[in-house]
Amino acid sequence: MDIRLLRPSDIPHVQHANITNLPENYFMKYYLYHALSWPQLSYVAVDVSRPKKTPYDYPRIVGYVLAKMEEDPPDGVQHGHITSLSVMRTHRRLGIAEKLMRQSQRAMVETFGAQYVSLHVRVSNNAALRLYRDTLGFVNEKVESKYYADGEDAYSMKLDLGYIRELIMDEEDGETEDLDEGEPVGSAGAKGDETGKSEVNGEKMRKVRVGRGLGVGELVERNESQKA
Amino acid sequence: MPQQLSPKERSLFSTVVRSYEDKQYKKGIKAAEQILRKNPKHGDTLAMKALILNSQGKTDEAFALAKVALQCDMKSHVCWHVYGLLYRAVKNFEEAIKAYKFALRLEPDSVQIQRDLALLQIQMRDYQGYLTSRKAMLAARSTFRQNWTALAVAHHLSGDLAEAEQVLTTYEETLKQPPPRNDLENSEAVMYKNSLIAEQGDIQKALDHLESAGKHNLDRLAVLELRAEYLAKLGRNEEAVKAYRALLDRNSEHKAYYDGLVEVMDISSTDLEARKAIYDEYAERFPRCDAARRLPLDFLEGNAFREVADKYIHRMLDKGVPSTFANLKHLYADSSKKEILPAVVQQYIDSKKSEMSDEPKRNGDTSKGNSSAFYFLAQHYNYYLSRDLDKAMEFIEKAIELEPESVDFHMTKARIWKHYGNTQKASEAMEQARELDVRDRHINTKAAKYQLRNNESEKALKTLGMFTRAETVGGPLADLHDMQCMWFMTEDGESYARKGNFGLALKRFTSIFNIFDVWQEDQFDFHSFSLRKGQIRAYIDMIRWEDSLRDHPFYSRAALSAIDVYIKLHDKPLTNGANGSAETEDDAAERKKAAKKAKKEAQKAEREAAAKKSDPNKPQKETEADLKKKDDDPEGLKLAATTEPMTDAMKFLAPLLQFSPKSIDAQIAGFEVLIRRKKYILALRCLLAAASIDAEHPKVHEHIVRFKQAIDTDAESINSTSAEIIKSEFTLIPASKSLAEYNDEYLSSHKSSANSILSALRVRKLLDPASSPDKDVEGVLALPELTLETAMSALELLKTWKSPEVESFQSSAAAKWPKANLFQRSA
Repeated sequence: MDIRLLRPSDIPHVQHANITNLPENYFMKYYLYHALSWPQLSYVAVDVSRPKKTPYDYPRIVGYVLAKMEEDPPDGVQHGHITSLSVMRTHRRLGIAEKLMRQSQRAMVETFGAQYVSLHVRVSNNAALRLYRDTLGFVNEKVESKYYADGEDAYSMKLDLGYIRELIMDEEDGETEDLDEGEPVGSAGAKGDETGKSEVNGEKMRKVRVGRGLGVGELVERNESQKA
Repeated sequence: MPQQLSPKERSLFSTVVRSYEDKQYKKGIKAAEQILRKNPKHGDTLAMKALILNSQGKTDEAFALAKVALQCDMKSHVCWHVYGLLYRAVKNFEEAIKAYKFALRLEPDSVQIQRDLALLQIQMRDYQGYLTSRKAMLAARSTFRQNWTALAVAHHLSGDLAEAEQVLTTYEETLKQPPPRNDLENSEAVMYKNSLIAEQGDIQKALDHLESAGKHNLDRLAVLELRAEYLAKLGRNEEAVKAYRALLDRNSEHKAYYDGLVEVMDISSTDLEARKAIYDEYAERFPRCDAARRLPLDFLEGNAFREVADKYIHRMLDKGVPSTFANLKHLYADSSKKEILPAVVQQYIDSKKSEMSDEPKRNGDTSKGNSSAFYFLAQHYNYYLSRDLDKAMEFIEKAIELEPESVDFHMTKARIWKHYGNTQKASEAMEQARELDVRDRHINTKAAKYQLRNNESEKALKTLGMFTRAETVGGPLADLHDMQCMWFMTEDGESYARKGNFGLALKRFTSIFNIFDVWQEDQFDFHSFSLRKGQIRAYIDMIRWEDSLRDHPFYSRAALSAIDVYIKLHDKPLTNGANGSAETEDDAAERKKAAKKAKKEAQKAEREAAAKKSDPNKPQKETEADLKKKDDDPEGLKLAATTEPMTDAMKFLAPLLQFSPKSIDAQIAGFEVLIRRKKYILALRCLLAAASIDAEHPKVHEHIVRFKQAIDTDAESINSTSAEIIKSEFTLIPASKSLAEYNDEYLSSHKSSANSILSALRVRKLLDPASSPDKDVEGVLALPELTLETAMSALELLKTWKSPEVESFQSSAAAKWPKANLFQRSA
């Protein structure tokens, strides 16, 4: 199965895979919210060899990971979160889930500077627990009582992504001599002025952000209430 | 002129505005009425009141009042803005745009009106309008990066890539200092600009830009992918090789990277060994990699193929990977590979057998491989290119014997029953599989689907209810709707259509239609959201996808099924609701039963909902949601009672023809609807399109004759211009031949295709209603290639003729497919 980034046009089939496999479901807009906020983080496993039946065939999705960055993290630490992950029963035991997770985790660090990634898993879901804990190295943070709609508890799990950061640094050391990233080299004072200015700019932006947090913002809340 | 208020009322007016924004509607209305008592014709207040009424769900009242407001004060931008907001709320975006434009003319400096207008323009794909708005917005606030990016997007979407790029460059030049490396917005803007450069075709420039501005970009994967692509396009193969290798190091499960690498490695297309060596290298480096082991099977042939297949299959069967067959079945298009693969699996079984006799104690280890091998062969014989259902059943039973608890094996057993044409047994077998793992939703889904295929709607819903959210008002059905569960609505609708419950069938297909509307509207919020987030490439991707949203098979399938139902309603109108009249007694009884059942179900649901509502523990809020959700036609009786089914069918047909013109099924459905509406030019257009896709298609033949017959009989009502067009365009049938001759010729040249024969016989009956080709229809049963589906449509044909041969056809078909339940007389 082909592992690649999720594209907006994949969403109907991702939604189909999700509602086929899992009890926690979302409407299309919530998938769009992921795909348009953090397009680097969500991956799909696709059957690319499947012969086309019509000129309008969309690739069939046999597995996906839907991931995000935590917005305004309460602990102030940038981190990713796995919203949903599933693989069609017919395509299990190929290591697809693990491969999807690894791609997503790497992008969390590269693009968004994530320190760690978190997720929730049903306490009874042994297969998933094996993947997260034994294969990927997640640790159990705590139990969230009655996290799921049907009353089941969730393990809240975490994986420190420091090893990926180191890996990336190693790679960069190896590949290029030019590590100048435009950070202050010369007079510190002059630099300070510039940073000051750009922060003013940033503040302006934030103002508008608050003003028009319509629609999609509501979606986030709604989802949380779904889980609760 | 805007009317003046006294200071006291001015403060009341701001109370109205604030109350609206805070959603304190009652307070707002009260304040508005206080103003209106003294100034009954104050336009702005009337408009604000209308806006609040609308938020309270009183849409009609709101529109009426907004009109009064405009009459009182045509020159008020507030009145026009509110008018626009009301139209926007009911999704009439065209009218909303008009109203906003009036408002903006009166208040050209209003940021809010301008922004709202721009959002509507891009939603409606009014690119020129959007461009104008964006230019104005940039002029108003040019320090704001978003405004520059948005203008670039406007140019890009309206097709002016160079200008889009220029806008981004102009902004960059205003920056005195390069933004820090972790500035996400800047990082994405760079990549967006790069995509614009590449899209204009200047690959060298794109590469240079990527290697300078994009060097430390945060979207690392995109940089690596684009770099490889550019280098390859520029013929810089050596560097491209490195680039593709870097990508494979990241992700060795992506076929496109291997393809790219092979392409730039200068390997002759005949040197399969060298090609394979590349994959071997990655297989060795990544022990868990599947693609590197599997992909060579696509291009290898003969012994080399067998060798690799043997290795691959051993590895997979030993591990007990259930998707082994699914991973390989695309190779069956090649007839020699289709022979080799099962032979390899058989060999695997045989070698295990001898191993076992060598080491009788170790049989625990081999049983897994064996059951997987049996499972593979069962799937092999169940696959349409290598079907032998009795053998398939034999192998799946062997596999089940080794692992009686395997959900996968039982699932395949159900699929075999499905192919036998026994929906009953299939449904039972799938249910058995479900019971083996009641906590897995995937198998639950399959069980429900098979129940629907067996027309057990109620049971299916109960099955699905084990995983839907218990607290959703309206039960599993409502939850499946909320969660936009397309597959269920399609299957449920088709099941109701089979049972003759056209009301509920149309209900479900209409739900799917409506969800596509929702999906289209869903993009609205992202026009502003994406600019804030700065992820412009993903946004552009979404815009492109949304532009052809309804070419999705989820839409086409539902639309085709809906059109089919509407055609049945047109040809055999129902007398009352879902109950039929001009049909066989069997059908009538069946339909009556279905209608009654549906009614009962609906009543039950209503009672349950009512019971829930009166529960004092439920918060009051939910009843408000209930009111909103209340459906005035839960059984689709109104839909099915239409007096103009062909007009209604157009709703489904129009997007089908617009977005899936290359689908022959869409063109066929289009012809069926348009010929009934006597839209001859349009029907001809569908017919010509279908003929250009597949001139030999049985339906195309049928439609040619029906079209000729229709324009001949209806010649008087066709105006001369249309007649001229038809004359010059409709050349599919030679003028010299009679229709009967033409039909006979088609029949004699398509003797081995059952579908063609059925079409020709249908045409014969049409041309000469006194003829009785019934026996010839039965004749198709003798064709070796006949499929169950075609036999079913032959039976349907006989039924529509009320043929005396129906029963004898049924018993012959039942004899030909002894395991099927499809030809049993309904009890």
